Amino acid sequence: MRRELGMFIALVAMCLLLFISNPDFLGASNALNTTRQISMLGIYAIGIGFVIISGGIDLSIGSVIGLTGVLIAKLSSSAPPGLGYPLWVGIPCALGVALLIGLGQGLLITRLKLQPFIVTLGGMLLVRGVSQTVAEGGTISFGDAPFLELANGGIWRVQGEPLLPYPVLIFLVVVGIGTFLLHSTVLGRYVYAIGGNREAARYSGIDVNRIETLTYVISAGLAGVAGVCYAAYIGQMSQQVGVAYELYAIAAAVLGGCSLRGGEGTVLGIVIGSAIMRVIDNGINMFQLQHRDEGGVPRIWRLDPNWTFIIIGAVILLAVILDQLVHMVNAARRTRRAAASAGGPRANSVDVAPDAKTS
Amino acid sequence: MTKGAPWLLAMSGITKRFPGVVALEDVSLELSGGEVLALMGENGAGKSTLMKILGGAEMPDQGRIDLDGNPVVLDSVREAHRLGIALIHQELMLAPNLDIAANIFLGNEAAVGSVGVLRRSALNLAAGALLARVGLARAPTTPVSTLTAGQMQMVEIAKALSKKARIIVMDEPTSSLTGAESEHLFRIIGQLKADGIGIIYISHRMDEVMKLADRITVLRDGRHVGTLDRDQVTSEKIVSMMVGRELKNEYFPPRAAKTPGPPVLEVHGLIVPGTARPVSFTAERGEILGFAGLVGSGRTELMETIFGVTPALSGSMTVAGKPYTPRRPRDAIDCGVYLAPEDRKRHGLVLPMTVAENISLPNIASYGPAGLLNREAERRAAEAEVTRLRTRTPSIFQRVVNLSGGNQQKVVLGKWLAMAPQVLILDEPTRGIDVGAKAEIYRHMAALADQGITILMVSSDMEEILGMSDRVVVMHERMLRGILAREGLTAEGIATLMTGRTGAAA
Repeated sequence: MRRELGMFIALVAMCLLLFISNPDFLGASNALNTTRQISMLGIYAIGIGFVIISGGIDLSIGSVIGLTGVLIAKLSSSAPPGLGYPLWVGIPCALGVALLIGLGQGLLITRLKLQPFIVTLGGMLLVRGVSQTVAEGGTISFGDAPFLELANGGIWRVQGEPLLPYPVLIFLVVVGIGTFLLHSTVLGRYVYAIGGNREAARYSGIDVNRIETLTYVISAGLAGVAGVCYAAYIGQMSQQVGVAYELYAIAAAVLGGCSLRGGEGTVLGIVIGSAIMRVIDNGINMFQLQHRDEGGVPRIWRLDPNWTFIIIGAVILLAVILDQLVHMVNAARRTRRAAASAGGPRANSVDVAPDAKTS
Repeated sequence: MTKGAPWLLAMSGITKRFPGVVALEDVSLELSGGEVLALMGENGAGKSTLMKILGGAEMPDQGRIDLDGNPVVLDSVREAHRLGIALIHQELMLAPNLDIAANIFLGNEAAVGSVGVLRRSALNLAAGALLARVGLARAPTTPVSTLTAGQMQMVEIAKALSKKARIIVMDEPTSSLTGAESEHLFRIIGQLKADGIGIIYISHRMDEVMKLADRITVLRDGRHVGTLDRDQVTSEKIVSMMVGRELKNEYFPPRAAKTPGPPVLEVHGLIVPGTARPVSFTAERGEILGFAGLVGSGRTELMETIFGVTPALSGSMTVAGKPYTPRRPRDAIDCGVYLAPEDRKRHGLVLPMTVAENISLPNIASYGPAGLLNREAERRAAEAEVTRLRTRTPSIFQRVVNLSGGNQQKVVLGKWLAMAPQVLILDEPTRGIDVGAKAEIYRHMAALADQGITILMVSSDMEEILGMSDRVVVMHERMLRGILAREGLTAEGIATLMTGRTGAAA
């Protein structure tokens, strides 16, 4: 929990700093929008969390997000080239395709012993290409279908703005189910065991292949759910939606304490990691410093939006560097302490008879 | 050796502590050029730690090392290489995907003038000369993956020679060699001696040591027990120095002569993948059936087949009279056949998980309803096993990675004991474990056998085989060479079968 706590403190500090620099940060519309962004990232970051904790990687989820949206647009948009099927056909179909993609990748990885990186890299490109083909290289608009309410509407309206937008609601449900699966079920225990030591898990009778395949299905499935939200949020779909989203999800998971070696991470940590990613993103727009120039005229200094990736990249590096340093200091301290205690009476010793000196 | 001249190598007062154990305490060792010094001791005696210090992989906490009478600091593997110290590990450290020449000069390409760009012809020429010196008739461009174990050994020696090594350490060099390959190795060792190279030869095999060594240094429990000239000693004397007689009596629990029981595990004509000959044996209820053999004799592979890790190609098995065809570990576990594997860190434990999580791992699904974790039941089971095996851990919520080897092994045992075993396979149950924990594990094994559990014990430790087994299966080159009864069991009788020599078969 050390990592989660540290990251939570960093998150709170960041929010405070942003609020002080620009009170609009916590204004109704920005706060609501940021929360919605955190939620949509969090949904698929939790999905990839299952894969990462079991020691795998899934690069295809950005493409799955895109394809889900494009399929819903194609099937259910009433304007051409949409086919005009009802949403209760379009959404389940799209989600079904997402699950099948996860299943296919999972089977390739576990049955043919292919490397997850390569399989999901191939999947990423292939699925992206399918989106492009379905969208015929263009954009499919939802018009002002009631579908858009899924992203913009919500429950508990206050002054016209929903206090709990639907994506946030979906996110909370995903967090609940994810926490339960990972931390309270045998499945979750097996995911950690496989990530911690795949061979030992196999020698303990765990059906490693089945559990691993399932993590890819969960990852793709939640990417599908996020895809539905993004489609409603953006209102029109092209093959560009979702590009590089998997990298945001991986970054969120790692910031939140997942290790790409597997076996480590919590849902709570991934949630915090997702929040940090989105708050930085938003903060780059919101952060401002008021000052007066030489003429005494009040000016506002803002961050150059071109720095976005520099800042996000630096934060990720800083987080893992700090974590590693803490790790190394602790390990050194443990060794010193052990050496000191071993200097006294021997630990774990039995009474050894006096050595038969023969030389 | 000339009187008064400094030793080629002198290590004195070497002490090394690891968390929880003193690996070496005030150990000394001397070596002169052109000499073979045998370093002997049981597993865990401190041989490999001492050699790691000599090779620059570990720094001693105390002590000094002199080369030719001048003190040196071996603070890195590179520095040890520079000073002419070469280690040849038991598991050879070659890159199988590269060819012989590339392996010989790996990291040392500059020796033949390759700076940045490889000069292949020069590499191959230099490698060819070294291969001639070690008597290996293979082209320098041969991929290492196509060589036999004996040939790889020669490549390792050639690699050491390429670095102008003056001291070569060989760790159990014959453990995976055939008889002819060993003979070849001994001839090469003779040549190296004649060239003035000092050799430290680590081995458990008495006949080799008596044949090769000029002097013998024995370690036990991290201490120097003695150094003797070969002419002064007999094998019996060395063995008694290695094991310590007084200790040995309390080491192995007394076991009543076992009365024949009903067969529990019957193996008929089992063909293990990678072997030619079928294996058949029967293990009785409450029996400890020892499996003796050299490293690579096929014992671990046989156990993995019985446990369903690598399913058998043909043959049949029964457990308690019922047909038993494990295709994966789960099948074995469901029939009460459990394996505590040889490499427990790789196959036995999830190191970052806690003691409780490791103990419950194979059985956790049965604790709670419908796939839910039942932490209370898990805690109870873990507490029970930790108490039963007297595992030293601050709590059952400690991560296993922080425990000592002996306590880690107890966690592996606890994992299976929590599930009422019928057949318990223990592959090298005390490897890398300190003496105190060893004696405890032996007591537990005896108690489990008395409760009627059938134990298959693979061990490379002759004392362990002799001290614990009711009967002994001996394997050599992936074949079952004989099954010996407890009466009249001798180290010599087992060793004869282990090395493939015929004559004394039971």
